Amino acid sequence: MEQKKSFRLNIGPVHPATHGVFKIVVDIDGDTIKRAQTEIGFLHRAKEKIAEARYFSNYYPIVDKLDYVSAINMEVLYASLVEKAADIKIPPRAAYIRTIMCEIQRIMSHLIFMGSFGEDVGNITSLVWTLRERELLMNIIEKISGGRLAPMYMTNGGSFYDFPDGISEDITKAIDKIEERINHEYQSFFLKNELFLKRTKGVAIIDQEMVKRLGITGPGMRAAGIKRDLRKDEPYLCYDKVDFDVPVSKDGDAYARFMMRVDEILQSIKIIRQALKDLPAGDYRIKTPWMMKIPPKYTFVRQETPRGEMAMYMVTNGDTKPYRLKIRSATFFNIRALEEALVGEKVADAVVTIASLDPVMGEVDR
Amino acid sequence: MAAYFDLLSAKLGKAVSQAQSNNDNETLIVLSDKKLIKKAALEIKKKFDILFMLVVVDYKPRFELNYVFSSYSSKDILTLRVNIDEKDYSIDSISKIFDSANWEEREAYDLFGIKFNGHPDLRRILLPEDWPGHPMRKDFIVTDEVRNWTGLDLKF
Repeated sequence: MEQKKSFRLNIGPVHPATHGVFKIVVDIDGDTIKRAQTEIGFLHRAKEKIAEARYFSNYYPIVDKLDYVSAINMEVLYASLVEKAADIKIPPRAAYIRTIMCEIQRIMSHLIFMGSFGEDVGNITSLVWTLRERELLMNIIEKISGGRLAPMYMTNGGSFYDFPDGISEDITKAIDKIEERINHEYQSFFLKNELFLKRTKGVAIIDQEMVKRLGITGPGMRAAGIKRDLRKDEPYLCYDKVDFDVPVSKDGDAYARFMMRVDEILQSIKIIRQALKDLPAGDYRIKTPWMMKIPPKYTFVRQETPRGEMAMYMVTNGDTKPYRLKIRSATFFNIRALEEALVGEKVADAVVTIASLDPVMGEVDR
Repeated sequence: MAAYFDLLSAKLGKAVSQAQSNNDNETLIVLSDKKLIKKAALEIKKKFDILFMLVVVDYKPRFELNYVFSSYSSKDILTLRVNIDEKDYSIDSISKIFDSANWEEREAYDLFGIKFNGHPDLRRILLPEDWPGHPMRKDFIVTDEVRNWTGLDLKF
């Protein structure tokens, strides 16, 4: 009887392991992947086109849904872009508030990553655990901004509200708890778990050459041994006033990428503690007109979001709306690595590989 | 900053000129002839690792392409600005030189309809294959064909 040499398997677009709507077509021979092709665009919502029809102060609800797991980082990026273009200097308190909110959001995003990664490895409990910890911070975001997933907290010139009274005790209590959980429970749950190590160590190696060729940024890049973090290298907000380390690993496998996120949570906690201590009094925002005109110029801003270096390039023409807004999504570049990283892996590890890149399709498809 | 311009002008001569940029760490270089893009990219490859982003701006009828290059070892950014006019909306692909340009060029093709000659896999990336038109163009009009597009060949 004639035997078929390989056959084609479609993972996604609607599949729990693809973290959104993302399709990957793999040719498999036995249990080994021979070729992988990615397909994106299922969540395309024309955000760049919508920007051309919105006032500079009116785009925040849209930018929230870019990377919906770390909405505040997206808001801060867009706010920084508009402020740079319009020459608005934000007060120091606003910069500190933004730093604290960014780091809270980074912890939340990485917790989601840990949970969903653990779940993809086969450990359903991990998602429940990390969501429990995330809820502590989610309540804080809700207390501060009134929103949860899409807080719409930032605005041109600062933030919509000041921190409420007593919020710094709440934040301290929450991050203390998370730090303790990561240092004890999570250690035994992930890092001393033989099954977890077997599934992740040496799987889907993305090395330095590949990183530099494809333009991968973020924890995936640092896991391959490139020490680079825009918060450290091109400090924005008040990252130059706080002390933190940039975790780096040499291995470049799924385990290293996981560890980068764990270490980054601990560093974020360190940043939040310092920023809360130094939080200056004063204005939390300067009033800017709702409808403002920005003179013709090209403005470029890039920042370190939980998934890597995200950038926005805005072309203005003296009108109240941008002429062109281009969004550089970090995962758009990172996800291309799948086409090479999956080759030679087992089908069961495909899910782990996708999860280790932490894709959020809202950001990729824009 | 001038070092990058000297590097390019040594090879390309008068085809390149430096322009004023209002972003820190950014060198802005205007390339007057689009045929030289590959040559310029080869020079840039010596100093920069990746194509960070490709910003296409529609000044109808011409398009302005801003290639933003970034490096892993420094914070400098180089923006190469090229104009392409209505006679021929095409330009040589640089994805053989910068692999990171592959998807960015596909996106520019998808949303603006710019052809990249020599691209290994020039297909639409965000929109479906049979989508009518290129929606990021300023003259794109939402017609009934677009409004009622389902992607399916349904007959009721």
